[in-house]
Amino acid sequence: MSPWYVATKRLARTVLFCTTLASALECAERQRYGGTLQVELHAETVSLDPREWKLGSAEFAINEKLGALVFDRLVALDNYGRFQPQLATEWSHDTAFKRWQFTLRANVKFSDGTALADADVLAALQPLLPDGQEISASGNNVVIQSAAAMPDLLEELASGRFFVYHLEPDGTLTGTGPFFVSGTAMGSHGSSNSATALGDSNLAVSTPEGNRTTHLRFRANEETWSGRPFLDAVEVTLGVPPLRQLLDLQLGKADLVELSPELVRRARQDNQRVWSSAPVTFYGLRFDDAQPVAAAAKLWEAMSLSLDRQTMANVLLQKQAEPASALLPQWLSGYAFLFTMETNIDRAREIRATLPPNMAAGTDPLRLRVDLPGDLAKLLGERVAVNARQAAILVQVVNRAVPHGAATATATSSDPASSLHLFSWHYSSLSPRVELESMVSALNIGDSLAAAGSSTDPEQLYAREKKLLEERRVLPLVVLPEYIGLSQNVRDWMPAPWGQWHLAEVWLDLPEPGSAQPGKSKATATPVAQLLTTSPGAKP
Amino acid sequence: MSFRTKLLLVVLLTIFASVSVVAYAVTHYTQAAFEAMDAERTEALVAQFKKEFIQRGEEIAHQAKNIAEANFTERMAIDLSRRNADQSLYVRDAVGSAQEHGLDYVEFVNYDGVLISSAQFPARVGYKNDWVTSVKDWNDTPAFLKKEELPDGVSLSLSVVRTNNTVADKSLYIIGGHRLDKNFLASLVLPTGMRALIYTNLEPTFVPASLMAEKIDAEQAERFAPLVEQLQKQPQAVVRTIDWTRDPADAETFHAIPLPGRNNELLGIFFVGSSRKELVLLTRQILKMAAAVAAAALLIGLLVSFWVSARITKPVEELSEGAREVAGGRWDTRIDVHGSDEIGQLAEAFNHMTQTLAAQKERLVQTERVAAWRELARRLAHELRNPLFPMQITVENLQKARKLGAKQFLEVFHESTATLKAELANLNTIVARFSDFSKMPAPQFVRVNVNEALRNAVRLFEPQFNEVGKPTITPELFLTEPLPEIDADPDLLHRAFQNLVLNALDAMPAGGTLTLRTSEQDGNVRIEVADTGKGLTPEECSRLFTPYYTTKLQGTGLGLAIVQSVVSDHQATISVTSDEGRGTAFRIDFPQRQAGPRATPRETAPESKSTPPTLAAASD
Repeated sequence: MSPWYVATKRLARTVLFCTTLASALECAERQRYGGTLQVELHAETVSLDPREWKLGSAEFAINEKLGALVFDRLVALDNYGRFQPQLATEWSHDTAFKRWQFTLRANVKFSDGTALADADVLAALQPLLPDGQEISASGNNVVIQSAAAMPDLLEELASGRFFVYHLEPDGTLTGTGPFFVSGTAMGSHGSSNSATALGDSNLAVSTPEGNRTTHLRFRANEETWSGRPFLDAVEVTLGVPPLRQLLDLQLGKADLVELSPELVRRARQDNQRVWSSAPVTFYGLRFDDAQPVAAAAKLWEAMSLSLDRQTMANVLLQKQAEPASALLPQWLSGYAFLFTMETNIDRAREIRATLPPNMAAGTDPLRLRVDLPGDLAKLLGERVAVNARQAAILVQVVNRAVPHGAATATATSSDPASSLHLFSWHYSSLSPRVELESMVSALNIGDSLAAAGSSTDPEQLYAREKKLLEERRVLPLVVLPEYIGLSQNVRDWMPAPWGQWHLAEVWLDLPEPGSAQPGKSKATATPVAQLLTTSPGAKP
Repeated sequence: MSFRTKLLLVVLLTIFASVSVVAYAVTHYTQAAFEAMDAERTEALVAQFKKEFIQRGEEIAHQAKNIAEANFTERMAIDLSRRNADQSLYVRDAVGSAQEHGLDYVEFVNYDGVLISSAQFPARVGYKNDWVTSVKDWNDTPAFLKKEELPDGVSLSLSVVRTNNTVADKSLYIIGGHRLDKNFLASLVLPTGMRALIYTNLEPTFVPASLMAEKIDAEQAERFAPLVEQLQKQPQAVVRTIDWTRDPADAETFHAIPLPGRNNELLGIFFVGSSRKELVLLTRQILKMAAAVAAAALLIGLLVSFWVSARITKPVEELSEGAREVAGGRWDTRIDVHGSDEIGQLAEAFNHMTQTLAAQKERLVQTERVAAWRELARRLAHELRNPLFPMQITVENLQKARKLGAKQFLEVFHESTATLKAELANLNTIVARFSDFSKMPAPQFVRVNVNEALRNAVRLFEPQFNEVGKPTITPELFLTEPLPEIDADPDLLHRAFQNLVLNALDAMPAGGTLTLRTSEQDGNVRIEVADTGKGLTPEECSRLFTPYYTTKLQGTGLGLAIVQSVVSDHQATISVTSDEGRGTAFRIDFPQRQAGPRATPRETAPESKSTPPTLAAASD
């Protein structure tokens, strides 16, 4: 065999391989329109009215994610932390950061066809802005000004609940987002037996019974300024238990599910796609004011030294959480590593010995109220009690778990019978200052915002947070990321690390119509979708 | 109480006692039988409990062994034996094992004692359980009671430890257990009237909520506190009865059996409760029947004993009646003799006695009659001789005077006739006295004031108290006022008082004091008449009321006989006391009322009706 022949043959093989590979890659990366993304959530209640969202609550995160389907903000952050224009195309501020001006995008229409007006922006944002910040319109511009500097206003507006919506005369909300709510349906899991079609997004739905679910259907907004999303619809099923979500994901009944931390390892063992965010949920203990100041400080210190956060995060939560020593996570504040929480049982016992014998003793134990739903909070509460017992501090866990939505983690009412409160806090703002002050205000653990000032300087924020921790009202425990299970069909899943979904970019790698697999239907062929599409009030 | 009543009572008491003894015996033996049966049932239940205990333990041991020998456990043991093994991988495995093998509690403990996974208390993961590693191989160890720490407290479990020895020297321990709760109790087959309870002794003091039973409230649970505390001090089987209410039928007898743990610490108490309702109801039934039988027996006994006692006591009553008749003077009384038993013999003896008494009385009457006639003859002879002798002398003088001259004869004649007339008068007086005594009238009762009657009687003798030429007699009256009136015949009473006063005057020839005293004694009216004379001898006292007996030269011996006759007619009693040389006192006790027709109040004073008795009528 001549060298030329061999060289020619090798070249031919190489060309063929490259051609095949290029074809395959092109085929794999080609975005497709169509399909319904099946989303399952554990929450039994959602609200699409930003005015009703409670900061820090677990429901806030879900509401925000679903709200982002329907509404747009003035500005947004991309996954690299860069501000991107949304409804505002330009923005500027004065040197003191006291006056911000936003130029609204032209020719933006709400999903009902109404054009976006500055009045809509004013009506939507004014109730959401904190006291002292005023919003006004000037032509195509919107101005936000305040007596105090607002250096992090963009971060504030790019996250949380600062969505722009159109308030209809009947009180319903309409958005400019890539989707709009086409209806709800209630029924048993996997099927529906009744439906209500809604064209508006001021939706507050809840699962009426434990064994029944609620379906929310979001349809693609063909007229959105950002271009039609790839998905035809997003169908959200509420009230699905965590294990059921995982099973549905495995069975192909769901494309996107929430994964509770205890199921993450299992999902990964089952080769499911699991995405995790940065730590976005904070768990901590809040002390009430019932104890004397001096004794409370010692008790806080003894409790803090007795807590084994490493074991909580790495063993109990199977490394799906991180020990927390600060109120804000490292990714948000940048200085969290400066805080440390030591575990020293012997020292905790010594401090305990200096406390009154009847404090946190057998006849009068510390009552740790755990009213968060789910096994995770219960487990953490029990671990706190077990740790505290090592330091001769008797803690009685009072489980008063309430269903999702019935109570929020930010409840500040203190149970007179309890001394401790296990709470969770979902970070919702990209501004550490705003987040810290929201936490302080909601949990009532420190001075007010006015007293603390509005500086975004990391050093001042660190000092502020350090002061808060030294006031010994809160004990950080762990921070948890958000875990999402994804089916193999979901493409271009590129959420922000802090948990914002970008479902407008997601598309489904559906099989060709002729090769559709039984039971894997993603399009509007689901019973709920069929029902919704035939409902009188459903939008086309 | 009559003999018949006594006999009746004795018979009834005997019947009642007999029935009571029988009822007590039946109740006692019933209770004993019930207690024995209860003990047998309790023993059977305890045996069943132990059997169930062992069987459950074997089931748990079987499941724990299955877990220990499962592939994933072997993989876990191998993985954990490695250096820097990730223990968090197995944190939730115990939950799955517990669900898969139907156990309430499952825990995995590493070779170093660290808790790897816990189904019941996941928050404890990472802590040491050194007691598990103290035994190298648990595979032959039976189930034992264990105090189980749970997030919401403590519970009692029946647990087993099994060892996975896949990796030498680095064993993995599996603790499996079942909660000892109401479900365990529900598995016991209980006889009617029995129940089982378990107290989980996991707290230093009694906790009512730790008492597990199918149905028990806190108030009832509190009643177990003394029993539990007793076993906490001394863990040994105890039996105690708890009265839930005042009704004994609601009481329950509890056998408390201590349940020790692996180190013989008291972890639980098994109670077997046996209702006493059955026993109490049975006892009540027996007592009711006994009461009914006793009532019937008493009724029958009453009738029979009444008849029997009537038969028995009739001869006795006849005997008693006969004795009373004899005492009443019917010495010839006879009673019927029934049978030849002791009562019949007694009746014969009684008849014989009365016959003998009647004969002796007859003889005595004859003798007394002869003696009386003799005494009467003597008195008559004495009384008649006194006037007859002067008459005889007078007649003889008159015969001698016939030889005298006419004048002298006439003088003697007149003197003799005068003497004869006087003596004839005396004779007449003597005859009148006897006539009066023989003609004592029947009393006519009216209401009489005794004090007044006494005063009238004394008033008659006032001239004699200070009679010139005679020693003075001083009357002293101590009359109680007011004094109840009595039913009496005023004339007879006056006559008796008159004789008593006269008798006292005669007893004081040298003067003295006559004392009259009235008083009320025991419902009677007492009259006492005392003198300060020379007194009487006992022999004189005993014969004082005998007719015609007198100690005086001029007495007829009828005065005190009349007094006694009056006293007798008034159902009164008279007694005499005398101290020789100091005087004599008579006491008469009159009843206030006389039997028969009621006396009418006296309308007139005694003196208006009665004529002052002559001294002859008040003769001595």
